[in-house]
Amino acid sequence: MSILMGVDIGGTFTDLIGFDEQTGQLLHAKRPTTYFDLVQGIVDCTAASGLDMGEVSQIVHGSTIAINTVIEETGARTALITTRGTRDIYRIGRGNRPDAYDFFFHRPRPLVPRHLTFEVTGRMLANGDEWTPIDEGEIEALCETLSEQKVEAVAVCFLHSYANPAHEERVGKIIRLRLPDCYVSLSHEILRAYREYERTSTTVLNAYVGPKVSRYINELSSRMSGIGFAGHFSIMQSNGGVMAPEMAAKRPVNMMESGPVGGIIASAEIGRSLGYTNVIAFDMGGTTAKASLIRAGEVMMSEMYYIGGYASGYPVMIPVVDVVEVGTGGGSIAWIDEVGTLRVGPQSAGADPAPICYGKGGCEPTFTDAFVVLGRVGAQDFLGGDLKLDELSAIQGIQHKLADVLHIGVYQAAQAVIQIAINNMSLAVRQVSVEKGYDPREFALVASGGAGPLSALAVARELHIPTVIIPRFPAHFSAIGMLLTDEKHDFVRTYYGALEDVDFEQLVKVHDDMLEEVRAVVRSESMTTTTIVYQTCLDVRYVGQEFTLSVPVSDEQLRQARIQEIHDAFDNIHQQRFGHQAPHEPVEMVNIRLTAIGVRNKPKFQLERNEDCLPHVSYRKVFFEDAEKPIDCPVYERDSLPPNYVLAGPALVQEYASTTVLYQGDTCTVSQTGELVISVGGGQDA
Amino acid sequence: MREVMRQQVDPVTLEVIRNALPAISNEMSADLQRASYNMMVYEVRDYCCALVDKKGRLISQNLGGVSHFVADLGVIIKDAMAKYKEDGFYPGDVLITNHQAVAGQHLNNIVIYTPFFYDEELIGFAMVRAHWMDVGGLSTGFGGGVKIADPWMEGLQLNQLKIYEAGRVNETLMAILNDNIRYPDSSLGDMRAQIAACHLAERRLEELFSKYGRDKVMAYLELIFAKTEERCRKVIANIPDGVYEAESFLDNDGDNLAEPVRIHARVIVDGEAMSIDLSGCSQARKGAINSRTLAGAMVAYKALTAPFDPVNEGSFRALQVVIPEGNIMMARYPSPMAKWSIILPTVIDTVLAALANAIPEQIPAAHFGTLGGSITCFGVDPRTHKPFVLQGIEGGGWGGRPHEDGESAAVSVCQGDVRNAPIESIEIKAPVIVEERRLRQDSGGAGTFRGGLGLDVRIRNVTEVQWNLSQGRRSQCPPWGLWGGKPGEVSDYLLKLPGETVWRSVDVVRHVVPAGSEVLVRTPGGGGWGNPFERDVERVRFDVLEEFISRDCARTDYGVVLCDDGSVDVDGTTHLRRMSGASACGYGVAR
Repeated sequence: MSILMGVDIGGTFTDLIGFDEQTGQLLHAKRPTTYFDLVQGIVDCTAASGLDMGEVSQIVHGSTIAINTVIEETGARTALITTRGTRDIYRIGRGNRPDAYDFFFHRPRPLVPRHLTFEVTGRMLANGDEWTPIDEGEIEALCETLSEQKVEAVAVCFLHSYANPAHEERVGKIIRLRLPDCYVSLSHEILRAYREYERTSTTVLNAYVGPKVSRYINELSSRMSGIGFAGHFSIMQSNGGVMAPEMAAKRPVNMMESGPVGGIIASAEIGRSLGYTNVIAFDMGGTTAKASLIRAGEVMMSEMYYIGGYASGYPVMIPVVDVVEVGTGGGSIAWIDEVGTLRVGPQSAGADPAPICYGKGGCEPTFTDAFVVLGRVGAQDFLGGDLKLDELSAIQGIQHKLADVLHIGVYQAAQAVIQIAINNMSLAVRQVSVEKGYDPREFALVASGGAGPLSALAVARELHIPTVIIPRFPAHFSAIGMLLTDEKHDFVRTYYGALEDVDFEQLVKVHDDMLEEVRAVVRSESMTTTTIVYQTCLDVRYVGQEFTLSVPVSDEQLRQARIQEIHDAFDNIHQQRFGHQAPHEPVEMVNIRLTAIGVRNKPKFQLERNEDCLPHVSYRKVFFEDAEKPIDCPVYERDSLPPNYVLAGPALVQEYASTTVLYQGDTCTVSQTGELVISVGGGQDA
Repeated sequence: MREVMRQQVDPVTLEVIRNALPAISNEMSADLQRASYNMMVYEVRDYCCALVDKKGRLISQNLGGVSHFVADLGVIIKDAMAKYKEDGFYPGDVLITNHQAVAGQHLNNIVIYTPFFYDEELIGFAMVRAHWMDVGGLSTGFGGGVKIADPWMEGLQLNQLKIYEAGRVNETLMAILNDNIRYPDSSLGDMRAQIAACHLAERRLEELFSKYGRDKVMAYLELIFAKTEERCRKVIANIPDGVYEAESFLDNDGDNLAEPVRIHARVIVDGEAMSIDLSGCSQARKGAINSRTLAGAMVAYKALTAPFDPVNEGSFRALQVVIPEGNIMMARYPSPMAKWSIILPTVIDTVLAALANAIPEQIPAAHFGTLGGSITCFGVDPRTHKPFVLQGIEGGGWGGRPHEDGESAAVSVCQGDVRNAPIESIEIKAPVIVEERRLRQDSGGAGTFRGGLGLDVRIRNVTEVQWNLSQGRRSQCPPWGLWGGKPGEVSDYLLKLPGETVWRSVDVVRHVVPAGSEVLVRTPGGGGWGNPFERDVERVRFDVLEEFISRDCARTDYGVVLCDDGSVDVDGTTHLRRMSGASACGYGVAR
């Protein structure tokens, strides 16, 4: 029982990474995602990996099943129960139209129809006092209606239930008793924070995907047992931690974003293991590039996000790893707009028709084609030579569609495409760093995704980032991240008051209640952890402000009511984030948050080569800064590079599914564990 | 000259600069919003952030937020350059203004701006206009309503003053501000956030100029303007040439209740050029609904030409707006402007209605047409013994569109990313109970594509408070339909004191009501698009199931008869629809 396994179901492929703790061997398997039976894809992958399932001690699994259920609108027939007068809260939302000049805008499509949305008697006030009691007879009658309507899932969200959940609890009990087959989500069980629309939306999403996801998880557990697996099984969450399958079945909304976060967690861990605690995770795939910031080893979190984008998406008010995404990827199409400006993206050729060089019928020049034209991606070496690229068509595409129109040379056009794409991606990296008050010069960039290593050095130059790290298996990084996660649970309670007036004894009681809740969850988990770390934060703002900043507080600060210390800490965070503070102004707190992290043992990856290995180097013509004249560029096979090997740019480092592009002035050192650690040289444009 | 430039242009740098400039104003906006102290900024987003060159030309502006602030800061810089002259600005200056002779909006809209120098040369200005919660005067909130007779009643007037000069604060001015506004903590907090946003922009511009060089950035700026203009021209070229007109009105100006406020738009399309002539609108009025603004024409033009693109000087160069001095939207100082913007949604819809004949596939029926059900109440919170202010905006129905229904309960055409306040947030902060916030059944205008629904929001105050409940002034000219679609239901503000059984329609400012009173804010629905008798029967059935429309409405407005179990009575429906036979065509704005 020494094998750890990470399984990531993506849009196209299901990825498996296995790590044998005894031998240090790291292996990988990839099979097409089987849409109609997702579990089958996993079984296929385990078979392809050749691993003995009896030897697997842990499986960590991330899946897009929850988010796809929402996007494809294939969830359960769901009803919503609300406080009298608030039936339409879920439809009205916040009333905003983020695309201000678009008269053809669309609001998010409700997942619950209005005729399955019911109001009931009973009202709490903001301080948790009961204003009107619930009418149990009314709830009993409602259960009849729900049953007649063949409802499969029910979401319950009452006003101020974050302050006093008694009504939701009572209604939940009655429905669970009367309709035992119905999937029930109560808003206070998902989160206890104010803002009824966002809480309702989160609860509805949980109920909507609940029946399907819980069935999936049960089936996966039993089929894994069926093929001999007897270890611990965990599910990846949007917050970057894992949870037990029983928890996932109850809170499927927590696994919505479980796909992309794996790579971010892995970036943090890889950075840490190499001595870099300030890291920018940069992932570039086929259609988008994503950036995320890790400071002092801590992954930056966001308290809310929107499935389907801010303008018309569904709000989810649970902590998620903070990711900025831009529509620039390897497949992004370069085009000339109606007034003659060169643009890249957001349209992508994707996997079909794919970039021109793939020879699958694509005829629009893409970011990848530009790299092939410049020789930076080897036409003969892509996917280890499994896929021969059509360099000539790529050249013709860029010539006809771009160079001829702009009256410039084909290599110059290819360079322009890359530079514009790099600029777009730099804006994303900028948003997570400079715009939040962090100086990129204090960070290392960890690049992953198939196209990440192609662009990383150019992006780093643009933002003066001094170090770039290319991890092993950059194209399968999410699955690797799953082996490196901790168990993590977030709790929140709205507790509102001027900081000076807060009754800290009462607050400590709330905190202790939350601790109890954590322990109950943790006890019920199939814990694979050794230590549990707790972090408490208060959401604080100046009186009058709306947006809060999270201020970490220690146990002593809380128990001894060290108000001034908390106030000072808030002022400092405000200064850091916005560049100004008002230390003499009163502050108020809105929420108390508790995060419990069950620390898991992390596998230690080793390079299975020694320093005596000889690197394989070949040479080919590659265009760098001079569009007229290519240079004779060294091309290193990554799998042949021994630890501590040093190489200098301009150079290419090629591996199975990716290529790292180094420019003049870059110096790359291969770490003991196989990562490429590159010191970024200055003064050279891509 | 344009041709010469094109040959030397480096397409990469051009694209980089084109992206970088709006990124700066968007970053200003994000920081301002998150650090601000009043809900008019953080929720209503009643602000704009912009970079303007020293000639007053718009370099970039943030997207989102209040639409009618589009490209309206240039006049302030032209005035400031005349006043201070080019050598009258120093690094570290911060200026403040809200003066209506130039700014032309209500006094709550405070503009803060700082000069940007590169290599000691004045290049332009970073600017933030934001709605302060209070500027003194008769009332807090939205400038005291239509009954304000002049700017002195409205509040503190600040005419292009330096609140910091060369980095040194003007303590006297600061003290005047502090002592003459009701919530100085809030407003001066907002001012700090505004100044910080301007300084942020200066740093970003400094980075951009030092990277690419002054001459290149300035030259490319001209090219960016030219390309933006060209893009707009191409869109207008697709609209058939012609002169298009439409007319509508507001019920009254709040002062003279007998005389409607005429709104008239004349749109001339000639090749790539468009002219929007608002000369036919009412002259300036005694009621405080005057302004100096081109926004009515510009918002409509922006939505037609490039709704998703960033805004710059080029966005409007191919548009001519005609509004003579003395017009209600070009009122002479000191005409009262406290409710300066309430006319704008109707003006924008009227410009669009004029174009319905030219481009029928691109024009929706009228949306609810007011600035939303604004909720303003204030008093002292018995829980904390501190004063509180509750302000909020509720959405209404949008017009039916070619091929789809209008959206319900969304903010007006002038308000983009403006959000309502959560009920839970309202009740935490103010001593009120929100009894309901729901869609108004049957409020959407009937049509082949139905207008969206308005809202009913009912609030009970649990202590004595003052309410501002200002009518939308569109009950005589409801949100119109197009091509046979019916108008939407109109708005109302209703009040019921404790012990009363009947709702009473009110139009009041600072109206004191006792604890236990209830207010009902009703927002209008949108107009319908196309003949309702041609609406798909299945959609009508579904609307009844979802209770968006009543059975009565299905029968009378849509000619659809439903059986007791909710299914369609096919024979009854066919008969009813044939009987009526009425099929309207063309469009007519109600008068």
